[in-house]
Amino acid sequence: MFKLLDNKLKNSLLAVAIGATLSLSGIAQAGKYGIGETATAKEIAGWDIDIRPDGKGLPEGQGTVEAGEEQYEALCATCHGLFGEGEGRWPVLAGGEGTLTEERPTKTVGSYWPYASTLYDYIRRAMPFTAPRSLSDQQVYDITAYVLYLNEIIDEEFVLTKDNLAQIEMPNQANFFVDPRPDVKNTRCMKNCADPDKLQIAGTLRGITPVGHFVEGADAPAASHDAQMEQEQHKEKARKATLKGESLAAHSSSGAVTLSATAEAGKPTYEGACKVCHGSGLTGSPKFGEPDAWTDRIKQGMPVLVDHAIKGFTGDTGVMPPKGGRVDLSDKQVEEAVAYMVESSR
Amino acid sequence: MSKIIKGPSTRELMEQMVRESEHLSINDRRDFLRKGVAAAAGMAATTIAGQSIASEVSKANLPPNEPAWGKQLGHGVVEHPYGSPSRFEKHVVRRTVPWLTADSIASISMTPLQDLKGIITPNGLVFERYHGGVPQIPAEEHRLIIHGLVERPIIFTMEDLMRFPSVSEIKFIECPANGGMEWKGAQMEALQFTHGMLSCCEWTGVPLRVLLEEAGVKPEGKWILAEGADGSHMSRSIPIEKALDDTLVVYAQNGEMLRPEQGYPLRLLNPGWEGNTSVKWLRRLEIGDKPWYHREETSKYTDLMPDGRARKFTFVQETNSVITSPCPENPLVKPGFLEIEGLAWTGRGKIKQVDISFDGGVSWVPASLKGLVLDKALTRFSLVTKWDGQPWLLQSRAIDETGYVQPTLGQLRKVRGGNSIYHKNSIHTWKVAPTGEVTNVQIT
Repeated sequence: MFKLLDNKLKNSLLAVAIGATLSLSGIAQAGKYGIGETATAKEIAGWDIDIRPDGKGLPEGQGTVEAGEEQYEALCATCHGLFGEGEGRWPVLAGGEGTLTEERPTKTVGSYWPYASTLYDYIRRAMPFTAPRSLSDQQVYDITAYVLYLNEIIDEEFVLTKDNLAQIEMPNQANFFVDPRPDVKNTRCMKNCADPDKLQIAGTLRGITPVGHFVEGADAPAASHDAQMEQEQHKEKARKATLKGESLAAHSSSGAVTLSATAEAGKPTYEGACKVCHGSGLTGSPKFGEPDAWTDRIKQGMPVLVDHAIKGFTGDTGVMPPKGGRVDLSDKQVEEAVAYMVESSR
Repeated sequence: MSKIIKGPSTRELMEQMVRESEHLSINDRRDFLRKGVAAAAGMAATTIAGQSIASEVSKANLPPNEPAWGKQLGHGVVEHPYGSPSRFEKHVVRRTVPWLTADSIASISMTPLQDLKGIITPNGLVFERYHGGVPQIPAEEHRLIIHGLVERPIIFTMEDLMRFPSVSEIKFIECPANGGMEWKGAQMEALQFTHGMLSCCEWTGVPLRVLLEEAGVKPEGKWILAEGADGSHMSRSIPIEKALDDTLVVYAQNGEMLRPEQGYPLRLLNPGWEGNTSVKWLRRLEIGDKPWYHREETSKYTDLMPDGRARKFTFVQETNSVITSPCPENPLVKPGFLEIEGLAWTGRGKIKQVDISFDGGVSWVPASLKGLVLDKALTRFSLVTKWDGQPWLLQSRAIDETGYVQPTLGQLRKVRGGNSIYHKNSIHTWKVAPTGEVTNVQIT
């Protein structure tokens, strides 16, 4: 093919080839492909949130147990309990010392976690559950101090700082060791591998597996959180109807609720922010779809309910943090979500 | 064919028939429903122990009759621009065990292994595990930053990442808590819940090694922190040896872009390692000289031993296997020839052999491996046999290419006790009753 080309073209092709080789070797210093921009220090700083046991990554600042108590009770206690005892199936944060060898160990910050840095790191990256990355560095220091205090790792007067956090020794730190597996050795036996007379056969614990999809008449949990909640609500209605001597049929109309436009608009906010507590009735919150929980509240009128939801409210059964802890929500979004819950729970 | 084995009520059958008759003309419909009612009445009477099959309702479409769908036209192209499974397969779905977790936003669902064929898990059925729900991330607004102990910190767009030469590899992914509910006893009455935190896909992306070379890791760089972009900002420390070996940064699964549930638009994939290390919605890789000891590698994903000490960095998913047919969801329906099938997998390489026992582990016979036998991928095994109504204690035992033999539950418990939660890979037992019913039992 080159035979057909004149010298001038041949030379210019050669130049292109050399140029390509040169530029490739030029890129080699920055990486083989030279793909991707150099990340700026500013870009990295915004995302570089991790903390290490040696304190690397900790921001400037300090926190106190006293300030932490206030933050904790407003932002954390709903799920983790006032004393870190855990509500529902949410994580227990404190206690459990000496239980790791027991039949039912309680693994908490104090009884299990090897490093205090993990606490700062985790609160900073993921808490509070409904509003991650909403806390200031100061708030994280305060809450970290308070959780350490709940675990009796620091005392009331302790001021947690960038410099002393890494010095805190956690009670269980020495008890972690690197994976030694393979730790068991089976052999490929083919005949007479066990004494048939000595086999112990234990059956399955019944009634806790969702098996409604293949076992007729199974009285078992559902296979999704929503369906489980529906099932529980249905059972509760049936129980109450029986108590009142009513037939269930009168109550089990399709359950279709016609929502106003405001309520309809509030559904995504409910799903993303409110459902965590109101979906299950966590810590005394009025449970979604449960008229009994809402009737008296609805009587107070929408403005009161919306006001409580926006500003926060402490009632007889529990605490509603301002906007449920989701301060990023607009007042309008909260109002819509309240409308959605109210209209779905009449 | 529908695999639902419960005997539906007459009302349910009627509803189903009404649905199935939707496409018929008014006369055919009336005829279909009249015949159907007779069939339903007959069936309700002959339902024994929930063993009847719902799809046997109508004989109107069976020979010698011309079936309804042979007498009319179906829908045309692009009726469903993105197709879905047949509406008769609606029972093939992910399921969860709600009491395991406080909320669906930080929870897990399981793959219906009992309904799947071959070794690939369809994208919509890959098990889910989230710590802060599924974020909806536009690919053009997603970034991956590599920084720390590197010569040049880099920020990649998805477009950048997709310019690199790509690789496609079939790998399983398994939650280390798979089977973890059963350390102390059999608790789950179905295969989906005993083993369903397990899926296998063809993943497409860039080897992490290539991206690290691009940034230039400094000699003191020994660990990598991988972090997600979702609300949980899930983070794990990965040793550099793994990253340079076979870790992938993937953007596609089974031929299409990742599903949001699986990390769209970008996730890490550590083949053969506990699923939690394959961080989804991957936004950041920081190279450091030490591990970070974050929540998911201290409070969680560490294995508590009977002496109160705990194992850390228990990365590998050891050799495991389970029989998927028969299983509680797939009981034996009639005597005669039968193909026993199941899945075997190992985080240490390839599966070399699977044996099957019919007597609870007293004697074993070799099964054959069928189809693809790949590194760190699900491997299907099979044994054709005959069942004449005799009771079985059915087990499978996998052996990997390193010679490791899947252990018994007794062997694991002896070393690890009952509170280690993770990495239970023991031989599993299905009890087959003379009726064909299959239940989950434990043999010690």
